[in-house]
Amino acid sequence: MAKKMIRDVIRDTIDEEMARDDSVIMLGEDIVGGMGSAGGPEAIGGIWGTSGGLWAKYGSDRVIDTPISESAIIGAAAGASLTGKRAIAEIMFADFIGVCMDQIWNQVAKFRYMFGGKSKCPIVIRMPYGAGYNAAPQHSQSIHAMVTAMPGLKVVMPTTAADTKGLLTQAIRDDDPVIFLEHKALYGLKGEVPDGEYLIPFGHARQVTQGDDVTILATGMMVGFAEKAAAQLAQDGIGCDLLDLRTTSPLDEEAIMDSVERTGRLLIVDEAPPRCSFATDLSALVANKAFASLKAPIEMVTGPHSPVPFARELESAYVPSPDKIVAAAVKAMSYRRG
Amino acid sequence: MQHSREALIQAYRQMKTIRAFEERLHDDIALGEIAGFTHLYAGQEACAVGVCEHLGPADYIISTHRGHGHCIAKGCDVVGMMKEIYGSSDGLCKGKGGSMHIADINKGMLGANGIVGAGAPIAVGAGITAKSTGNVSIAFSGDGACNQGTTFEAMNMAVVLKLPVIFVFENNHYSEHTGESYAVGAESMTVRSAAFGMKAIKANGIDFFSVYDAMRELIDYCKAGNGPASIELDTERFYGHFEGDPQRYRGKGELDRLREERDCLKVFRTKVTEAKLLEGKDIDAIDTEVEALIERAVAESKAAPRPTAAHVLEDVYISY
Amino acid sequence: MANLRAFAMPKWGIEMTEGVVAEWMVKEGVPFKKGDIIALIETDKITNEVEAEADGMFPKLVAETGGTYQVGELIAVLAGADETPSADEVSAFVSGFKPADTAVASKAGGSTPPPPAAPKAEPAPEPVKKVSIAADANISPAARALAEEKGVDISGITGSGEGGRITFQDVLQASLPPVSIGGSPVDIAPVGETLGEVFASPLAKRLAVQHGVALSSLTGTGPKGRICKADVLAKVKPEPVAQAATPAPASAAAPMAFARPAPGTAEIVKMSSMRKAIARALSHSKSTIPHFYLRSKVRIDAILGLRAQAKAATGEAPSINDYIVRACGLALARHPDVNVQVHGNEIHRFGSADISVAVATDKGLITPIVKGADTLSVAAISREVKALVEKARTGKLQPEEFQGGSFSISNLGMFGIDQFDAIINPPQGAILAVGAGVRQPIEIGNALAFATIVELSLSCDHRAIDGAVGAEFMRTLKGLIEEPKLLVG
Repeated sequence: MAKKMIRDVIRDTIDEEMARDDSVIMLGEDIVGGMGSAGGPEAIGGIWGTSGGLWAKYGSDRVIDTPISESAIIGAAAGASLTGKRAIAEIMFADFIGVCMDQIWNQVAKFRYMFGGKSKCPIVIRMPYGAGYNAAPQHSQSIHAMVTAMPGLKVVMPTTAADTKGLLTQAIRDDDPVIFLEHKALYGLKGEVPDGEYLIPFGHARQVTQGDDVTILATGMMVGFAEKAAAQLAQDGIGCDLLDLRTTSPLDEEAIMDSVERTGRLLIVDEAPPRCSFATDLSALVANKAFASLKAPIEMVTGPHSPVPFARELESAYVPSPDKIVAAAVKAMSYRRG
Repeated sequence: MQHSREALIQAYRQMKTIRAFEERLHDDIALGEIAGFTHLYAGQEACAVGVCEHLGPADYIISTHRGHGHCIAKGCDVVGMMKEIYGSSDGLCKGKGGSMHIADINKGMLGANGIVGAGAPIAVGAGITAKSTGNVSIAFSGDGACNQGTTFEAMNMAVVLKLPVIFVFENNHYSEHTGESYAVGAESMTVRSAAFGMKAIKANGIDFFSVYDAMRELIDYCKAGNGPASIELDTERFYGHFEGDPQRYRGKGELDRLREERDCLKVFRTKVTEAKLLEGKDIDAIDTEVEALIERAVAESKAAPRPTAAHVLEDVYISY
Repeated sequence: MANLRAFAMPKWGIEMTEGVVAEWMVKEGVPFKKGDIIALIETDKITNEVEAEADGMFPKLVAETGGTYQVGELIAVLAGADETPSADEVSAFVSGFKPADTAVASKAGGSTPPPPAAPKAEPAPEPVKKVSIAADANISPAARALAEEKGVDISGITGSGEGGRITFQDVLQASLPPVSIGGSPVDIAPVGETLGEVFASPLAKRLAVQHGVALSSLTGTGPKGRICKADVLAKVKPEPVAQAATPAPASAAAPMAFARPAPGTAEIVKMSSMRKAIARALSHSKSTIPHFYLRSKVRIDAILGLRAQAKAATGEAPSINDYIVRACGLALARHPDVNVQVHGNEIHRFGSADISVAVATDKGLITPIVKGADTLSVAAISREVKALVEKARTGKLQPEEFQGGSFSISNLGMFGIDQFDAIINPPQGAILAVGAGVRQPIEIGNALAFATIVELSLSCDHRAIDGAVGAEFMRTLKGLIEEPKLLVG
């Protein structure tokens, strides 16, 4: 059991899986970094520090530094995965999904279905995402809703060091395509990580706190924010049942229903904008299947219907805060039933 | 290049199978037997067969929306393909893909593809695998897909990674309904491919022997570790972009002239009979055999089981 | 001039027609405080302490101690604590008093200290205020209609709709009184990250911890083999005995603090009226009723299992006693000869099993009645007992809620009493005494096994119930408790 930062967990997990299985390869922009430069290969080791040392260990045939060509990165990872490899593709910022959407949406997600179940494409597409770096509208978005909406993809959003290992190992060994979303602000987060083989099955939410008054559903950076809010709410006598959903596809509907049927109140925290979002999806699910259990309208704390702005003041106004989560929980608790 | 009698018969049988398959589809679609969009390959047979006669199951191809010819040439089961196009649950893709998505991974056929230009990047990935096994990966594209950024990205990446990928551009002179002379800005696809830093050649896409010989050269080149290559094949499309296309962009008498003067099957027959490699009756026998195969494929397709609503959720995931 | 009011014989329960003023606890002309016991009034069923509803003073005690008075009949004249009415005033009031219709006497306003739990009258609705809402106000049509109907001022409402539009829900919320939320800090039980965790749903994990089930020992039957609630519940073991036999009122057993008298001396404590009432009733019972006792040991393991399941499924579990009440209800329905009251030369056989459940309160023993225990589910009995106990503790029990009954149960299991015999609660014909569940070895076949045993003792009034009749009842009861399938569902 070692204490590691999430970025190191990612590198070490890929390392373990590449050592275990020769078919695992990795592709992406600057994942080696420094190719063709005076500084030489591994001058960078990945701009997120998630692939340092892997090229030296496994060579150019398995750790493939690519030109800036997202469509070709995903396409190449897809083609390799269709033909017997297990490719891990890195899209440097999740926002760049726009330039490779066809490969993800029309190709990777649909191969198996279109081909009558006679193919498999065990690809992992890693995408750093999220706000918090003042990286402005094209480098700060949370794109989980759009990929969750795509049948054929699995979508994973780890929040702890241990979960990162368990879920990434599962993702690499999974025979279906997996979108692995890494929140940029969590890369430096440290946590205990189990030694040896460690897998967490998908569709399995993590219970963060137990309480009886409000169910809070969160993903990514919002889990930590919600945990802070829950601690504050507990001081005020409000018990929060906080679930870190961990995967948005498949979704742990059972855990959500079990909790909401008990608490009768639901608060969803989502970093993304509110329309046609993961938050609205969860809200519809619960409104439809647990209407009878609800004691108050479903509350949603989300980003606004705007791009993620640049300036510090603007970005911090954009991102849901623990205070906003507390206020929404209090609102749910204050609902007057006529 | 020398060809055995068996090799010639096999090549002709493949080309004839494609032709008969497509002509039968043309008729059955007109009769309303088949749903959806279908893009016929007839006229380009020498390209698919001239490329694929070099390939084994560990060599990969990826195709286009006009993919039936590539599928047949790469060894996909013709009856299974017909059933698929008829939408049967017994089809090659269980009725989930249809004409535009026929694939058989075990045969090295990574799928026809409904998105123009989507195939080239995937062929690059198959090239990563092929490189590790000493095989090659082929991206079939047309004069339409050649203008997609994905194709450019794929060509550049294949050069950067020195992958054994051959970009085969079948120039049938129409990207959908637009002429090649308008849409391809460069002097030619060959010139453009060369500019990416790869070996780029041209061949006659209505002559099996021209395609076959050129491909031999390129495959040897790629397998020697020289990185990717490109070939532009000058060929013809005998039907519209899709079945139902009124083809008002064609010149007067254009199709009749093409079928008379630029039919790759006629070219093949003339060449092999004049060179006394095969006799006319050998060829006629193949025609009869192929017509029977297609007839059987259609009969079986019409009798084949239909999918039900219960099949909709199958094969979205391996496990979910 | 003093404001004199009548203090009339109260009516408790539907059947009370007359009462005996057993004892005046206050003297004429001496002021008393709200809550003081002012009288003991006996009916044919109980002796009741009457508490003062407000500060006051009786200038005249009309009723004589031991006298019987009709419901609604004047028994005292009531005045304010600081008033000094003249004798003439009082006698004029007495001669001018007309009893109200007895049927409604107990509702006759301030003249009678009513039982403490008289329902509060709904405050008259305030007249709807006229509100005017501007025609161009940003409000939905339904919200506008509601605001006008309820007289809700919308100027203070922040609309939650698009562009601040006021919605129906906004107006409805503004029209309702605020709810109080929160309170003392709660333990939100942060769930430590379990590494190498088992594939189980959060609820399954919670239940596993609650019931001490090792998840690693289970095979999941949920989606993709995940361990779900049902898998854990299937493994739930009965709860430890010490808790299992504890019925709801256990907390009443908290020791009362009292000063220990000096050695060699005795402190003289005057009996409270309730103590006196108990003493009177039970002395009468024990000395006049020919008791006999039927004892039987029953296994309650099956009930413990049911209870654990109920707890896991709903979070709340009926007490063992609730199951026993249910079992007695069913057994009484099958043995109507035990479901009786004895009145002189008459035996009253009842169609419904109304079971008095003995509850210890800080004021003494009280026996609220679970009516129709033969027709109620265990869960309903559990709710009913909880509600009755709560009322008994807070002194809000209505007379009809503790008067009558056709059978009693007294459970001292929570005090660790293995076995005891109870005194019949007259005019009932029998009472069941329930001891603690004790885990002990029993012989099954040729082997020893452990079972949780409760000892039951049925006290019967031999005037009405013969030994064989009581024994048949006990056999049925034992069967129901040991194979309680009939108790649930």
